[in-house]
Amino acid sequence: MFAHTLSPLATLSRRRLQLTVRTPRELLVPLVTPILFALVIAPALRTALHTDASYEAFVAIGTVGLLIPLNMMFSGLSVIVDREQGAQRELLAAPVARPLLVLGNLIVAAAITGLQIAVLIAAAAARGIHFHASTSGVLWFLAAVVTFGVGMYGLAEILAGRVPKQEEYIARVPAVAIVPWFLAGSLFPIKAMPAFLAWLAKFLPLTHGLALMRYGLLGDATGLRNIWGMHDTTAMAGLSLGVTALFALVLTAASIRVFTRSAVH
Amino acid sequence: MIEVRQLRKTYASGVEAVRGIDFDVPDGQVFGLLGPNGAGKSTTIGMLTTTIAPSGGTARVGGFDVVREPLAARRVSSVVFQEAVVDRALTGRRHLDLHARLWGVEPSAAAGRVGDLVDALGLAKLIDRPVGSYSGGERRRLELARALVSQPRVLFLDEPTVGLDPRIRHELLDLIGAWGSHAELTILVTTHYLDEAERLCDRLAIIHAGRIVALDTPAALRAALGRELLELKVDGDAAAALASLRARGIAQDDAFLVGSTVTVPLNGRTSTDAIAVVSELRLAAAVSSRPPTLDDVYLRLTGGRLAAAA
Repeated sequence: MFAHTLSPLATLSRRRLQLTVRTPRELLVPLVTPILFALVIAPALRTALHTDASYEAFVAIGTVGLLIPLNMMFSGLSVIVDREQGAQRELLAAPVARPLLVLGNLIVAAAITGLQIAVLIAAAAARGIHFHASTSGVLWFLAAVVTFGVGMYGLAEILAGRVPKQEEYIARVPAVAIVPWFLAGSLFPIKAMPAFLAWLAKFLPLTHGLALMRYGLLGDATGLRNIWGMHDTTAMAGLSLGVTALFALVLTAASIRVFTRSAVH
Repeated sequence: MIEVRQLRKTYASGVEAVRGIDFDVPDGQVFGLLGPNGAGKSTTIGMLTTTIAPSGGTARVGGFDVVREPLAARRVSSVVFQEAVVDRALTGRRHLDLHARLWGVEPSAAAGRVGDLVDALGLAKLIDRPVGSYSGGERRRLELARALVSQPRVLFLDEPTVGLDPRIRHELLDLIGAWGSHAELTILVTTHYLDEAERLCDRLAIIHAGRIVALDTPAALRAALGRELLELKVDGDAAAALASLRARGIAQDDAFLVGSTVTVPLNGRTSTDAIAVVSELRLAAAVSSRPPTLDDVYLRLTGGRLAAAA
């Protein structure tokens, strides 16, 4: 049973990977803006605002919060390409459970996002940005990246399932990927915003994701405290991880439901 | 091998695409669904391949209910779609490999089958090129090879030659005909090309507005119009000309008109007598007699309502 699931899943993931590597746009475009932010804009802001070196590290993690939604949204675009010009109908006629079609794409999107984050972090470190990561910190960081990324892919699949054309999908990307990034404490702590927006930001999964990532890679629990207002940092990290995990679970389940319903007329 | 009982499909928009159709396709038979655009052919294939959910009735493919056992029904079948359903960036070989893996073909068996199909369908020079560089006919041959690599018991061909030039169309029909002669393969093909249906199919269902209006062998369908019919090209009011022929007892209920052409099955009358009446009434610019074709059967059944209304 397990082999019957894993074998087609591996086949579907391999197909998606082969298509992705033949489309450099999908690999490079999502990486451009975050790298620009981490390596050019963050040092410029540091100089202009007279902040210290830790601000560059703060923004470097903040740009991971831009990279994940952008990359996942671009991956969602390939679902529309599959449907409109690709082999989706052949896959739907295959004797495999249709949720595997979603999961096969998700695995590749997550792997490529992971690779891009590694490139971003490595570039930031090479630029002189210092991270304070312990083993457990890296695990918190990875858990935040994976759960938030999986949830964002679910959102991208749902959007791709409901939007008929690529143009309409692309028009919605800023609202889904970029607007929350400005509100989630990417470039400044959420407490710096008006009270209502700061309260609103606590409901964004990205706010929890970024707070966890900073806790993990910088050892800075300020973001978690701004959300939860507690003293036990591990408990706060666990709660934020719960939020991003729930986000991933709900959005993945919803995306599978939307895909299977939209695939069968 | 395929059993369809009172199969219906009403879309959310309210369109009744298929209105309760019944047919059986025994093992090894090539069965045609013939009808105009919008008749319900592709919806029927969609329901049999489990990409369209039936609104009512039942269908079994290879003994498996398409609603209750969709994975099993898909495992024994393959589809060649009406439109291009390919990943243009991938090579032809990758498409065949992907299909074999998804259909659970053992890798060692798949390699042999891919080689055989590549040779049989003349794909050797193309198979390692990206499919985006293929012509329409080449892509069709690849899609046929892909559908066959899992050795399906049931093959669905949804308008397989649409959009191809006549030479490539005939080549593809030869290939489909050759595979259709394999006793273990059952083929359901939809088309609106009558010559294609006659050439390929052991039996035909003519589908019109979501209903099957005739189902038999091509020869039996032709025989229903008798051995000879009269064809009139009318300058003026074709409906009035048909009414005049009916009034004189030359035309019966099975006569029909399409545009300015009136077609009258002679049902045992001699063409000489009928032509004499037509000449006497000065109804037509040109009159001829000929044996019926499948076109006549199709036009009478799908366009015949125009004649009845007239």
